[in-house]
Amino acid sequence: MVEITYTEEDKQKVLEKLDQKLWKIKDLAKVLRMNKKVVQKIVMDLIEEGKAAYWSSGSTTYYATPRYIEEYEKRRAEG
Amino acid sequence: MSETPLLDQIPDGPWPSFVKEIKKTAELQDKAVAEGKDIKMPGSARALLKQIEISYKDKKTHWKHGGIVSVVGYGGGVIGRYSDLEDIVPEVHHFHTIRVNMPSGWFYSTKALRQLMDVWEKWGSGITNFHGSTGDIILLGTKSEYLQPCFEDMMKLDPPFDIGGSGSDLRTPSACMGPALCEFACYDTLQICHDITMEFQNELHRPMWPYKFKFKFSGCPNDCVAAKARADCAVIGTWKGEIQIDQDAVKEYAEWMDIEEEVVKLCPTGAISYDAEKKEIKIDNSNCVRCMHCINKMPKALKPGKERGATVLIGAKAPFVEGAIIGWVAVPFIPADELFDTLCEIAEKIWEWWDDIGKFRERVGELIWRRGIGEFLNVIGQEADVRMIKHPRTNPFMFFKEEELVESEVVKKLKERGMKWRSFEYEGEEI
Repeated sequence: MVEITYTEEDKQKVLEKLDQKLWKIKDLAKVLRMNKKVVQKIVMDLIEEGKAAYWSSGSTTYYATPRYIEEYEKRRAEG
Repeated sequence: MSETPLLDQIPDGPWPSFVKEIKKTAELQDKAVAEGKDIKMPGSARALLKQIEISYKDKKTHWKHGGIVSVVGYGGGVIGRYSDLEDIVPEVHHFHTIRVNMPSGWFYSTKALRQLMDVWEKWGSGITNFHGSTGDIILLGTKSEYLQPCFEDMMKLDPPFDIGGSGSDLRTPSACMGPALCEFACYDTLQICHDITMEFQNELHRPMWPYKFKFKFSGCPNDCVAAKARADCAVIGTWKGEIQIDQDAVKEYAEWMDIEEEVVKLCPTGAISYDAEKKEIKIDNSNCVRCMHCINKMPKALKPGKERGATVLIGAKAPFVEGAIIGWVAVPFIPADELFDTLCEIAEKIWEWWDDIGKFRERVGELIWRRGIGEFLNVIGQEADVRMIKHPRTNPFMFFKEEELVESEVVKKLKERGMKWRSFEYEGEEI
């Protein structure tokens, strides 16, 4: 299996986007014009580092930063 | 007066009742609390009944879904559920569901079950569902803050239990009991289900596809896990060559069974003939469609052929966006010893394609319908084959005329007990 590599700059770009809204990998890759597998790897690494997190709608899973998710949850609780 | 008068009516019906079971759990929970056990969600089972009663009165659900519910590193396996009646039933304000990956073939020891239930009694409502439609053990109702410790306790059990799949990921693979209990098994369903689960842990725990993907493994065409109707990738045991016949055993069956009526005439392709004098049967194997009827009726006399393996069907699903789809044959035959490697190879090609061009919440079967089986076969590197048919030449499902229907003994007994068939009124007309 080919090892997927990326630059620190790519990682930063992904992180910035994750702090703006809830994303699916495919959409995030499209917006950033990056390879989906690379984005996937970056997001997984960010999750490992605690800089990104999952958010579930109940049937679909999205990704964002913990800060964004916390803010989103607050808004959701307020209705 | 009972707090749940509407719910109290439900156990009066003829069927097993969830109300009765939740009430039992509530009593057990109260008892455990009285004994001083460490119970994190006391009163939750009773509160659940209260919430359902309110829903019945209000004629609407009081559950909300979604949120940040998971355990560290996992994106699936926990389904977030919240009550919007926090002030009335605070005990179930959080009532998340945990899906637990069941063992292959659903084999448990009582020790394993007891351990798991002890963990769940401590960290959750104590209410379970064995099993969900995908096959997981379903633990119903816990709080966000208890998910992680509950998961960690499950991991420390002997044997440990892991969380299953949910959301847009590989759902927990399931398998029939296979060679452990059934002599028809054409491959080791239990082993392959376990191996696939271990191989695709990342896909199982980290949702990233357009929608869910299910593997189901049936050891023979009886398809006891209904793989061909429900699994995106159904792996169904089959054989090449001739059905094995033990003519001495056929003679034994002939002593008490009407082979002509019960077996020969029911062969969907007329591939069996019976010599009543010699009490021997012959099978035209080139016309056998693997319906399993004869083998099921005469298991001592007939066995699947010696060259065994599996057929892979692709794209089945139960209704949602486009309605039910039965799987199409993608690979007609894979020898049993090549099954794991071939399946891994095919699955990865399918996921790559589907993830690339699949629409949001589009299952693989729907994508094949949209893009065509030709493109799909190119993706998995298969040549078109006559067995990859959209509709079988002989309908393998049985349909009966009204006059052929015979009331079953079960229905008769239920009627004797006073059960009435429900009828529904639609615009004044009974339907």
